Amino acid sequence: MAVAAFVAWLGAALVVLADGRRGLALGLALVTPGFAVLVWPSGGALGVSAVVAGGAIASWQCWRSGAATWGIMPAGSTPRLVLCVASGLLALWVAASVTTGPGTPLRFAVLVVLGLMGARVLASREIAVVLTSIACFALALAAAPDLAAISPGPVPDIIGGLVAAGVMFVPRMQGEPDLAPGHGVAGAQGGRPDKDGS
Amino acid sequence: MGPELLLAATATLSLAVIVAPPRVARGSLLTWGLLGLAGMAAMVVAPSLDLVFLILLVLAVLQARLTSHRDFASRLRAPVLAVALLAVGLAFERMQGPPVLERFGAVGMVAGLVAAIGLLPFVHEFDPEESVVASPIPWIAFIGPLLAATVLSRARQVLPAEAGDAFGAMLIGLGLLNMLGGSLGSWRTAGDAAAWRYAFMADWGLALCGFGLAIADGQAAALLLLFSIVLGRLPLYLFSRPALREKNPTDRPINLVVAAVLAGSAPFAGFPARVLLLRGATQLYWPLALVLAAGMLLWLPGSLRLGRSMGVPRGRQAVGVAVVLAVNVFLGLYPQPLLTLAGL
Repeated sequence: MAVAAFVAWLGAALVVLADGRRGLALGLALVTPGFAVLVWPSGGALGVSAVVAGGAIASWQCWRSGAATWGIMPAGSTPRLVLCVASGLLALWVAASVTTGPGTPLRFAVLVVLGLMGARVLASREIAVVLTSIACFALALAAAPDLAAISPGPVPDIIGGLVAAGVMFVPRMQGEPDLAPGHGVAGAQGGRPDKDGS
Repeated sequence: MGPELLLAATATLSLAVIVAPPRVARGSLLTWGLLGLAGMAAMVVAPSLDLVFLILLVLAVLQARLTSHRDFASRLRAPVLAVALLAVGLAFERMQGPPVLERFGAVGMVAGLVAAIGLLPFVHEFDPEESVVASPIPWIAFIGPLLAATVLSRARQVLPAEAGDAFGAMLIGLGLLNMLGGSLGSWRTAGDAAAWRYAFMADWGLALCGFGLAIADGQAAALLLLFSIVLGRLPLYLFSRPALREKNPTDRPINLVVAAVLAGSAPFAGFPARVLLLRGATQLYWPLALVLAAGMLLWLPGSLRLGRSMGVPRGRQAVGVAVVLAVNVFLGLYPQPLLTLAGL
């Protein structure tokens, strides 16, 4: 379970650090098995299948559309790296030290993925980045009900998987680029760069 | 409260589609309105709050897809921030730990709810030229009331008693902030469309205070205020859009009557809501009732302005305004059947 939580954090960190389609897809593909393992105790095989299917479809859609670039840690991404490490440490402290009871890995994974994806959406202007973050968000929300004392069953996992896959198929509007050329520079339509200036 | 608000939203959508001004694309209004209603129905039947947050996320993505001057990412920021705050708040409530964690959870949930609706201090970006369905108005006036009723009723089941006090205090504090900010904004802001948006915020301020009181009178006042938003202010805003574009204020008797509806004067729906709110606040802490009563006076100048901005409704619009006035008079004179239906 601890390894799964670490993999989920690694995937979320990759989504934060990547500007290219492939990097984002890889991040989402890492978040998926992390949460799939974490929802196993309450969701069972059905819940795990839903999360894996939703995450895999979303990753595949992210991988195949747009420019085939990785764009991991481009110049100017130091603040994002600091964010990933600091949020990981903060979530670990809250999950392992401040709170008590079983389920520390799940608490850590839910808190850190929600926090990192929220920050990523707030700081980005590119559709691909926003949609990938929302897909990760949906997977974290699918796992969050497992924090409750009463097991919610596989329903949240199924709906979370559906949402994660579905948002990646949202039709694009005319005139809005998926990812601007040059990783993180929304320059094609005169857009502003990311907040970290990359 | 959820099913009743869903019915009210359905009635408003039907009215808007039937008596929409000629320039409005009825097909688009109906399609997106039905999508919103489907999402709201799913929220009502969702077995847990997490599923409500997922539905909120889907609705936000679908709305952000609509053509607008604002880009996709900037339109999604507020709803995603809202879902993040709500989800982290709910996670804190579910974890075992010190009481301060539960209070943080309560703060997160109230902040998330306010961000989802688009109230102070998380006001959504507003473009007066944008179509109504793509603008923040559906969040504050169509989906927002049902979302708030659903989240607040379910959150009270999750929150422990100590955190419940912090929850109520946060709601009242943000309610007062929105009441003052909204009523002053609707009076003093430059554009009439922006003034309408501020007026929605002011009404929400009163509704949040009602929810925060956590007694029967407060809940009843909040419900009536949400109904007056969905069945009064929202359709009147839709009917005022052509006149807002033409920038042609008028001073006919109908404008005064509309101003009276918007100000919550007798015999319209806002009046019993205000009376119930003042009664509830007096029971709980009388200085709060004093502040609320003083704040309610600020509705007058803004409402007179909004009433004038409506122009003179003609044809189908006049029929629509008449229906809205009749419904608001009925709710103002006989609020009890509605409150009984909602279990209050």
